[in-house]
Amino acid sequence: MAAPSAAGLGRRLRAWLPRIMPVRWSRYDPSYLEPEVNKEFYQKPLEKLTEEEREQMELKAVQPIKAAPPTLSSSVFSDPMISKFTNMMMKSGNKILARSLMSQTLEAIKRKQLEKYHKAPENEKETIECNPYVIFHQALKNCQPIIGISNITKGGKTYQVPVPLTDNRKRFLAMKWLITECRENKHRRTMMPEKLSQELLLAFNNEGPVIKKKHILHKMAEANRAYAHFRWW
Amino acid sequence: TLRLICTTTAVQRKNVRASGPEKYTEAFIKKQIEEFNLGKRHLANMMGEDPETFTQEDIDRAIAYLFPSGLFDKQARPMMKHPTEIFPEQRKIQWGEDGRPFHFLFYTGKQSYYSLMHETYEKLLNIQKHQDQLTVQDLPLQKEKRNLAGSRWLSKIELEEMLLEKLSDDDYSRFIQLLQKLVALPCADIEEEYIQKFSKEVPVQLQKVVIEPLQYDERGVAFSTGEGKRKTASATAVVYDNGSGKITVNGTDILHYFPVLQDREQLLFPFQFLGRIGKHDMVCTVSGGGRSAQAGAIRLASAKALRSFVTEKEVEFMRQAGLLTVDPRVKERKKPGQEGPRRKFTWKKR
Repeated sequence: MAAPSAAGLGRRLRAWLPRIMPVRWSRYDPSYLEPEVNKEFYQKPLEKLTEEEREQMELKAVQPIKAAPPTLSSSVFSDPMISKFTNMMMKSGNKILARSLMSQTLEAIKRKQLEKYHKAPENEKETIECNPYVIFHQALKNCQPIIGISNITKGGKTYQVPVPLTDNRKRFLAMKWLITECRENKHRRTMMPEKLSQELLLAFNNEGPVIKKKHILHKMAEANRAYAHFRWW
Repeated sequence: TLRLICTTTAVQRKNVRASGPEKYTEAFIKKQIEEFNLGKRHLANMMGEDPETFTQEDIDRAIAYLFPSGLFDKQARPMMKHPTEIFPEQRKIQWGEDGRPFHFLFYTGKQSYYSLMHETYEKLLNIQKHQDQLTVQDLPLQKEKRNLAGSRWLSKIELEEMLLEKLSDDDYSRFIQLLQKLVALPCADIEEEYIQKFSKEVPVQLQKVVIEPLQYDERGVAFSTGEGKRKTASATAVVYDNGSGKITVNGTDILHYFPVLQDREQLLFPFQFLGRIGKHDMVCTVSGGGRSAQAGAIRLASAKALRSFVTEKEVEFMRQAGLLTVDPRVKERKKPGQEGPRRKFTWKKR
């Protein structure tokens, strides 16, 4: 926001703020609802959980619904969390590469776990988790911070104030930390799937640099507990 | 003695912005209506029609004939409509000759909005009193639920038109919350008429699309066609019954046409959703767009074709899964003064 400079005396620099111009808008009318792709939701018989669900069904029957995006599908292989992670890993719109990296990561996780499974003694075989999707979800959950930090400027000084985070923000931070960790702190020659699978397995067991980062954030928030009252929302 | 009145040119000039929109007196509007009716009769005479039965559509057609215009904007072309449609409805002056306003809430600034909130709250208290009376007499409280699915509340613009004054989003949402609270009470049937003033019927027949019946080709196999569009791609799909799950696109197999797994997943989505993967054959033609757009277009076309093979309930499930809606997202245009649709030019300090 440039203030009128002394140099340009004749001209008055006023930022044109349009009257009604939302920055984030979508081609859909706001009354359109999100699609529900899960097949089991539709196969449930009429004796559903509560009356609320029945009311919801009735409401949905009247309202228009958005089209399902190309990444979403009702097959067992499409997972919204994995698609989100793939999109974050994508560079310059190269979804094919990102998707192949993701599938190679999941394959690498499965291979490592199977190796461990076959080497382990009989009593430990049940505790080893082989499903890469379960490992991915659990690792993400372990990486999510509970409380975040926000910079608030008061009286000229900027304080780091502890702030509660929404679910979306927690997921985003966990995914972002994993990706930056894999892109930066690795040997030049290691491939992304290899490094990612390593990080995910460490996070699944609550070890590794991402979990450490989460703990550091929690400690910072705990240390700055005194400034928590600066938050006004 | 005379006193010199010194005014600046700024004060003498009319402050256009402060006076607001042009105010029309009642006499002016009445005159306009008389002129309109007279003009309507003259026009009917000119066109050789009966002045008594000359409807608005006839007027529009006559004006379009007598004053043809190639202007792009329909609002800029010559039109002849009833004055109430042309001149916006305005409130009469809210104060008397002595300057004292009529309404007691005039000085709040939003008198109609606040008076509306007061009335609605009065109804709420009324209902609560009625409820208390019923509980005192130990009578059961009526719990007839209103059908929420068939009605919607008035939109903000409609409410503004009703009250003839501007509302903010916050005010509007507060009013809707109050109405919802009113409706949620058990004995809300007493004030049903009042609530109906603010609710509108939503036509349940939105989704009444005609599902075409199955056609049969020479071998006796049932088939149906569907068309789909996505971005710039358009596709037509023919789904045959008693098939083995083979899908052909523009003469080639899908494995060769769509090397990417995501596109093939999209093609199989409608079949997988209905559980009919190995049961249908499909032949499609597609043109335009990129690889993902073509996949989306074929998906929509196949979903539309599958409607004929499936029960009405399943069609409703497909619609709720987002398979039958045309995706309206297209490439956003580039704006002048910017490099792309959103990206601005590099900011240089000097």
